[in-house]
Amino acid sequence: MTSQDTERLTNIFCTLFNKPDLKLRDDLTARDIPTWDSLNHVNLMMYVEEEFGVRFTTGEVSSMQNVGDLKRLIDAKTTATQAA
Amino acid sequence: MATLTPSRSLPTTKYLDQLEAYVRDRHPRSLAGIVEARLNDPARFEEIAETFMEWAVAVRGEAAIGEMVDSFVRFTTSVNMSQVRYERAGHYENKTFEDCLQSLYTEKDEMDDYLWGVYLTNFLWAHHTEIILFFTERYLKRLDDVQTLIEIAPGHGGWGAYALKHLPQTRLVGYDIAPSSIEIATQIMNAAGFANRARYELKDALNLEVVEANSADAVICNFLIEHLERPEKLMAVINHLLKPGQKAFLTGALTAAQIDHIYEFRYESELVKLAEDNGLRVLETFSGGPRRTLPNAKFLPRSMALIMQKRQNDIY
Ligand SMILES: C[S@@+](CC[C@H](N)C(=O)[O-])C[C@H]1O[C@@H](n2cnc3c(N)ncnc32)[C@H](O)[C@@H]1O
Repeated sequence: MTSQDTERLTNIFCTLFNKPDLKLRDDLTARDIPTWDSLNHVNLMMYVEEEFGVRFTTGEVSSMQNVGDLKRLIDAKTTATQAA
Repeated sequence: MATLTPSRSLPTTKYLDQLEAYVRDRHPRSLAGIVEARLNDPARFEEIAETFMEWAVAVRGEAAIGEMVDSFVRFTTSVNMSQVRYERAGHYENKTFEDCLQSLYTEKDEMDDYLWGVYLTNFLWAHHTEIILFFTERYLKRLDDVQTLIEIAPGHGGWGAYALKHLPQTRLVGYDIAPSSIEIATQIMNAAGFANRARYELKDALNLEVVEANSADAVICNFLIEHLERPEKLMAVINHLLKPGQKAFLTGALTAAQIDHIYEFRYESELVKLAEDNGLRVLETFSGGPRRTLPNAKFLPRSMALIMQKRQNDIY
């Protein structure tokens, strides 16, 4: 993921979870952010969909474990879109 | 992170503990909701959850607890995704009943996953635990001498099995449109030890006029009405089946989107009116929603329960 994309993703996390200083480590999970519950997770994923012009399946949304997974998913989807 | 404190009301909460450990390890985002469900009434939560889990484990084995939780998380995720899209669109997706029949109800793998997910929502969603408590305290306890209980759209069969647990003299007949429902509900009844008191038939709820009129001492129908294009017909069917003066229990979803929700109820009064227009008197209602909602949500997804009595004439 480019540093620009990481910044776009960080902005979404900071705004949604109201944490202006959040560092988006790949191993960041819901255990580190108490308000990252199942509903906020879906909200987050919808914002990511809009920001990056991608669409996630239910399986992808529910099985995502940490920020690293999310970055890989965005990369795979945006690369696939560019290749098409 | 919140923790679950066992209230030690049951000799064991073995399966619930395994479920919780799996959620904590694999799905920490889902833990908050489970804590809320338990806080409604810890002792009753454990009783209901452990009972449902015992049946499920008897059907699928202890090793499948994780798979069942995965189904629950997938189902809840799908519901939450539908709700976010609904918030943005302002209306449910324009699905037809035929779409749902083809893409879900008759698709075995999809439907099995869906049904196990729904099964767990009955106690893992806090407002659904409240509905089961309302069902037990306000409906089951006021029934007497129920020989025949008809369950419309049993799905996984958990509600019917829980009813039979409280009504030892009762026999249940269930009708569902999905082959997966008939299969899983039969397995749950076997697991609960009620195989000789329950049977299921593959039938469309809206074609139940073929079943003898005035034949049921009680009717239950949970979370079907919002899946129909013509919900008023379901109330008419309930009226057809019930003996005069007898009681039905029905639940429905309001402003709660889901991949197979078709009819968008917005107000509690709509369900009450449908019942009254179809010869049923509404004795009691309960409406509950999740504790946590989307920021700035326009819609609160509610689940409503109605206890209804078949009227003997126009007014009563
Ligand atoms: C959300 S599930 C509810 C299951 C269960 N009653 C509960 O509340 O947990 C909906 C059920 O309705 C069934 N169903 C949908 N349309 C139906 C119809 N027209 N006739 C009978 N069953 C139907 C589905 O197959 C599924 O089992």
